[in-house]
Amino acid sequence: MRVLYVSHNHPTLHPGGAEAYALELYEAMRDTTDVEPVLLARIGSNVARQRVAHAGTPFSAVNGDPGQYFVFTETDHFDFFTLTSRDKTLYSQHLANFLLAHRPDVVHIQHTHFIGLDLLSQIRRVLPDAAIVYTLHEFLPICHRDGQMVRTFNSELCDEASPRRCHECFPEISEQSFFLRQRFVQAQFDNVDRFVAPSAQLMEKYVKWGIDPDRIEVEEYGRQPPAARAPAPGQTKVPTNIGFFGQLSYFKGGKVMLEAMARLPENTKAHLWLHGANLELQPEDFQSEFAALSGSLADRVTFCGPYRHSELPKLMGDLHWVVVPSIWWENSPLVIQEAFLHRRPVICSDVGGMAEKVRDGVDGLHFRVGDSHSLAKTLETAVTSPRLWRSLREGIREPHSMDTHVAHLLATYEQLVDQRKGALHA
Amino acid sequence: MPEAAVQKKTKTAKRRTVDQTVRRAARLAPDVALLVRDGRRNGRARPVEVARIVDDPTSGAGPELTLGSGRKLKIPRERWQEVRGDLKALVREEIAPLDAEVRESLLEELAATMESSPSFELSTSLHWVREVLRERLPLCAVSESHPAGLAVEAILAVDESSFWISGWLHDEDGRGEVTVVSPEGARHALTEIAHRYDRPDVRQFYSGLGIERTREHGFTAYFSLEAPSLLSSGWVAELQTTDGVQLEIQCPGVIRETEVVRSTILGELGGQGPVGGPLAAEHGRPALTRLQQRIVGEARIDSVDEYGRTPRNPEVSIVVPLYKRLDFIEHQLLQLSRDPDLAEAELIYVLDSSEQTEELAQLARQLFGLYELPFRVVNLSSGAGFAGANNQGIEISRGPRLLLLNSDVVPDRPGWLGALREFHEATADIGALGPKLLYEDDSIQHAGLYFHRAGGAEVWENAHCFKGLHRTFPAANVVRPMPAVTAACMMVDRDLYDRVGGLPLHYVQGDYEDSELCLRLAEEGKQNWYLPEVELYHLEGQSYVPGVRRIPSEYNQWLHTSLWGERIEELMSGFDAHAAADPTDRPATEEARELERT
Repeated sequence: MRVLYVSHNHPTLHPGGAEAYALELYEAMRDTTDVEPVLLARIGSNVARQRVAHAGTPFSAVNGDPGQYFVFTETDHFDFFTLTSRDKTLYSQHLANFLLAHRPDVVHIQHTHFIGLDLLSQIRRVLPDAAIVYTLHEFLPICHRDGQMVRTFNSELCDEASPRRCHECFPEISEQSFFLRQRFVQAQFDNVDRFVAPSAQLMEKYVKWGIDPDRIEVEEYGRQPPAARAPAPGQTKVPTNIGFFGQLSYFKGGKVMLEAMARLPENTKAHLWLHGANLELQPEDFQSEFAALSGSLADRVTFCGPYRHSELPKLMGDLHWVVVPSIWWENSPLVIQEAFLHRRPVICSDVGGMAEKVRDGVDGLHFRVGDSHSLAKTLETAVTSPRLWRSLREGIREPHSMDTHVAHLLATYEQLVDQRKGALHA
Repeated sequence: MPEAAVQKKTKTAKRRTVDQTVRRAARLAPDVALLVRDGRRNGRARPVEVARIVDDPTSGAGPELTLGSGRKLKIPRERWQEVRGDLKALVREEIAPLDAEVRESLLEELAATMESSPSFELSTSLHWVREVLRERLPLCAVSESHPAGLAVEAILAVDESSFWISGWLHDEDGRGEVTVVSPEGARHALTEIAHRYDRPDVRQFYSGLGIERTREHGFTAYFSLEAPSLLSSGWVAELQTTDGVQLEIQCPGVIRETEVVRSTILGELGGQGPVGGPLAAEHGRPALTRLQQRIVGEARIDSVDEYGRTPRNPEVSIVVPLYKRLDFIEHQLLQLSRDPDLAEAELIYVLDSSEQTEELAQLARQLFGLYELPFRVVNLSSGAGFAGANNQGIEISRGPRLLLLNSDVVPDRPGWLGALREFHEATADIGALGPKLLYEDDSIQHAGLYFHRAGGAEVWENAHCFKGLHRTFPAANVVRPMPAVTAACMMVDRDLYDRVGGLPLHYVQGDYEDSELCLRLAEEGKQNWYLPEVELYHLEGQSYVPGVRRIPSEYNQWLHTSLWGERIEELMSGFDAHAAADPTDRPATEEARELERT
């Protein structure tokens, strides 16, 4: 079976969770005997390269692997509202040629960002037989606010998109425009045979928004077991070391976390290790607030800067807890899987994918989303209770393995291919 | 000159006589003057005669005046000086008083003398005479009170006697006749030939004045005079309307700089939507074709430098044009010098950027000293373009097979040339043969050329099969016939190449030469082939930059389609650009099959 994976980035150029997963999945499929996978990853002027590598084609090979390609698209051509490219020759010529040359049985889309939703209708036109699978990673198709589903004016979590509500978030964009946007995205989505949601809460929101429940299923990301597991933390009697991994952005709850650290009683021993980057890309007022907070916490908080995935066993080795304080829904945060792979209980916001993946009192602790008092209280309990820490650690289950994931997807692919053939030749 | 011919009474015969006399005289004496006499004065039927003074200073006999009748007249040297030096007085006193009809016919005859041996001096004299003698029409004034208007906005010299003119005219019924007159006096009517089109600016101007009548004000024409015109200023355009208005204007100076001429013509072709239609077909194509011929024609071989002793009877002649980027040669020579197959080949570099002659000579000496692979360098006097440079190199080559190679093509491994040659030899009725070309990241640059029409367009574009896919992509690794292959690396039989006329020169700034060559070969009943087991890297766009600008590439596309559209249609029916060929589409001979298996 030939399967084409489409991703909006490639980890060699842009380290990110979804793109790393796409590559891992491609590699795992390559190792099976059933699938000849091809990975098509978008590059563009905002990532690493300034222009298309070769005149006349957006495609170029990746690191000498005959199964991996970059597809170059101009960032400027992408319409962030309708989520598709204004350069239609990308589909009518280049992607059509690519599809016709490879003739995949299944196209499994990891992301259409910067490639564009017109890919979906083009696949259907060019390859009527091919099954289309689409993995959803966040709420971009639903929510114009970077797919976060957080209201623009008061940071309230949003659980329902509608032209009226979206217009409230973006008063300069009319209800009619939002209506058209939704119609456009849904019409493109009609070409998809199966949506994969890594978390139940994500699926629920998409079903509520309009995806037919029969065409969507929950399937968690599969993870390869790490090359090395982090050892248990050293000789400290109390579990005082807390780690944060990820972007230091507003939505990731960095401020909530620092505020909570500031609220901890002075005699409570606790230390926060911030592993992450991109603070410089955040809005300036956020940066300055963040700097002011962390300045007053110099003895309790350490900035460690960006990290590489391969360093995780060592970095986790020094920690007792991993904190995930996001103030948006999240999908299924990869950092939770990482923490569990290294057997670290997780302290997280009590909403969305976090609350779903971390069981309060079983393998981690919940606090009220966005509430630094609640987080401070939870942290205080955590860092002073070695017994609680040990019991939560015992409660951790091994994350969904890549092998199981691959087997599930293969079964899905086969079923869908048969279904398409049946539908087409009935 | 036969005396009998002069006696004939028909006008054409007379004129031919005059011309022949003049022509003969001009061969003898580059410095010319003329004598015109009123024939009635000595009782002859011919009122005016044109003559030239022939002077051979070595003879000492003094100048001789050859008259139109063929009669020769000896004049003493002092008298001749006077006549020659006093041309203006002669014209003013002797000719100007003649009646208008006589003067007109005289001017026509004078203009025709440019045909035989044009020179700037003769042009100047003719222009001067014309200015004294011609009938002047009222000058055109563009204004409310003048319903007829004429403007020439540009005259471009495509060559010495071919011109591109553009402007506009306004008259009662749009049927006014425009005639241009060269500084030397040659007249050419534009009305019949000119392409007419709407000029919103002119239309608005006249409708603002309330006297809008014609719609297609603009005109553009390419035309050729019988004789060269060398002066830049002095062109006049005349308008005669159907209601009897006659007027004239002075034209702007002639633009001769090749680049400006070319880009201006292209600009006009693309200025009103996509290139095509009668403007492109009837004016653009002949003008640009002539211009390209001129550019290529002006590029001559200045010198051929030989480094080492190149084979006198090579199996293959490799021809590599060089333009600006010389640093590739080192990479190419190193790879070629490691390849035993090169012993049977001669290598010819053609330098198409003449300002680098010295630089290349130095580099060539150094590189030959190190790699010891013999080669020749052809130095061109000026830029000939990709096709022109290739053709010049081929001109001096000796092998029965040609391998056209770009300077930015570097073999992946030795053995490529032998493999191409063997396949070429073993395959019956082969046209052009092309290998697989790769980008630096091992994705495919070339696996054969095909043609496609984007989004229902009329014009065919060239496209590369499997471009951007990995070199191991299965369908790109099948030996198969192709509509065309790229000239970046192409093997073709020399006689065949000559028979079909080689790479065409009529495309502007490159592009489509290779596909047209392949189409010409297909027309000869030959099959073009793609051979994937031969792999070279092509760092495309690093040497000759393909025509990325809109209008030249639109023009080339249009020209290519208008010449070859039907043949392309034929070739493309049944060709699948996205899949491997049917296994039965294999080379015709057993040896080739053998070769493929290895």
